[in-house]
Amino acid sequence: MTGDVIRAEGLWKIYEEGDTPLPVLRGVDLHIGSGEIVALRGPSGSGKSTLLNILGCLDRPTRGRYWLGGKDVSKLDTTAQAWVRLHYIGFIFQTFHLIAHSTALENVALPLHYAGVPRPRAHETARALLDRVGLSHRLDHRPNQLSGGQRQRVAVARSLALKPRLMLADEPTGALDTRTGQEILALLLELQKEVRMTLVLVTHDPSVASVAHRQIHMRDGCIVTDAGSDAPAA
Amino acid sequence: MRRPRSELFGMAFETLRRNPGRSLLTLLGLAIGVGAFIAMVSFGEGARRAVMDQFKALGTHLVRVRGTSRGGQERKPLTDADAVALQRDSTTIGRVIRVARVMFETTHAGRQWWAPVHGVDPDFTALHLWDTSLGGMFDERDLDRRSKVCVLGQTVVRELFGDASADPLGESVTVSGLLTCRVIGVLSAKGTSTSGNDIDDIVLIPVTTFSAYFGLPQGYNQLEIGPAQPEWIEAAKEEAQTIMHRSHGLGMGEADDFQVDSPTEVLRAVDRTATILARLLQGIAAVSLFVGGVGIMNIQLVSVTERTAEIGIRSAIGASPRQILSQFLVEGALLSLLGATFGIMLGVGVSVTVARYMGWQRITSFGDVAVAAAFGIGVGLVFGFLPARRAALLDPIEALRRQ
Repeated sequence: MTGDVIRAEGLWKIYEEGDTPLPVLRGVDLHIGSGEIVALRGPSGSGKSTLLNILGCLDRPTRGRYWLGGKDVSKLDTTAQAWVRLHYIGFIFQTFHLIAHSTALENVALPLHYAGVPRPRAHETARALLDRVGLSHRLDHRPNQLSGGQRQRVAVARSLALKPRLMLADEPTGALDTRTGQEILALLLELQKEVRMTLVLVTHDPSVASVAHRQIHMRDGCIVTDAGSDAPAA
Repeated sequence: MRRPRSELFGMAFETLRRNPGRSLLTLLGLAIGVGAFIAMVSFGEGARRAVMDQFKALGTHLVRVRGTSRGGQERKPLTDADAVALQRDSTTIGRVIRVARVMFETTHAGRQWWAPVHGVDPDFTALHLWDTSLGGMFDERDLDRRSKVCVLGQTVVRELFGDASADPLGESVTVSGLLTCRVIGVLSAKGTSTSGNDIDDIVLIPVTTFSAYFGLPQGYNQLEIGPAQPEWIEAAKEEAQTIMHRSHGLGMGEADDFQVDSPTEVLRAVDRTATILARLLQGIAAVSLFVGGVGIMNIQLVSVTERTAEIGIRSAIGASPRQILSQFLVEGALLSLLGATFGIMLGVGVSVTVARYMGWQRITSFGDVAVAAAFGIGVGLVFGFLPARRAALLDPIEALRRQ
């Protein structure tokens, strides 16, 4: 694999809590190669969510620089960040974050709409993606008519709509039972191989973490261990 | 990068449809604002025209020549010679009416009533746009014969015959115990003048009959002049001035011993007052339009707050602030567009109904409707902008946290 998808140097995130600065990230350095699967672990308050937000261009570091696919994205304005999120990054959340009043098809087509894809083509793509995650019979169902596993499948399909190079999953199985969680994880791994994208998982679950090539442990805003090969296994 | 517009409108429509009750209430506020604006503009214009018409009916379209005393001198009476000169020497004067007026006691079958008795030319009623509700006005033949006939105002009919709706035609009325005349007409009701006088308290007799029985020691009280064309009133006034000056044998630069009034100044003042009142109504209506806009802002703010999580999701997956702004702006625009449409129907409906009821002409102009609609949609957009901006500036991380 050539080049790093993620290259971060000296990332600091400091929140101002009244007069006392509260550092949440203290100089994180990170390199993640293309096609890698990385598990990000650590107790709550260790800064892993903040790191994930910065890696996902939802937040900016107070200090330090971050290159995504070779481009410095640490100082982009809000609109440019949104563009990067839309075209480079797929998100999967613990609580799915689907739009409640939209059908599965509309939810998956949403990023395509924002990218300016005309409606018929967006729906065609969304239909194919839902078919790929095994929901071709649930196109017109709204989230509240779907099971948890099905909702996460819709979210996975949505995150893939614009073929991201980086997939960020925040506790993707956290709200699911063990069996469904395993299914979602298996689906993610399959798709990761198909699309050859980089996958970063935040998880507490050791069995989920075990599928990763690399395990990064965080504590008090620092990376304490970074175990595993730098190269993807397959 | 940008979302196709049809998509935005479809989405906005879908959102409004999901909450029909609230959407309806919101646009009702603006609809009432737009409707009130159209109605108020129409009412103002209708009332202004009605007031102007009433003023014209009071004789504002004529020029009056009155005698006036000059520097302690005996005033020079207005005579037949003046009337003839005005008629003969002018090009802009249509008709000249001689008016002699004295308060006399009138009696009929034991009832008595003090009324201003007018000796006038037959065209008096035509010049004053005054119809008869019963019978008719005396004519030139009555004038030549000095006929003993009279035409009564409604008040006099009420006082002498007990009831304003009584039919006094053919009955006789005695004026000042001297002249007994036959009633040949009753004037239609005119009500009260601007100065508070009862216009219907009047008795008309031929001016020749008046001079034969009561004499004209002071000449005529006034000569009333109707211009040949309504718009010549100022020209007629000036011409009357010149002719009277000559007719009274006054030299160059000598002061007038008469007075020529035209009511155009009064009319203009009345028009200005009516216009101010109409503007006032519009101002009040504009406030209600404003309130309608605040209603839209309110609902859109609630909507943004309620949909914070949704906005967070959209933002997280890559919607730009501008795309989120557009979404809410389009919703606000759609609300105000629908509101304005309902408002136009409401306003035009109310205006037409009221105009019909009040007997006004059609007074709602296309321009007024366009202004109201544009104003309404503008208000909706301006007030829709604040909530839309708030949505666009939401921090996606914060927004996502709120479920």
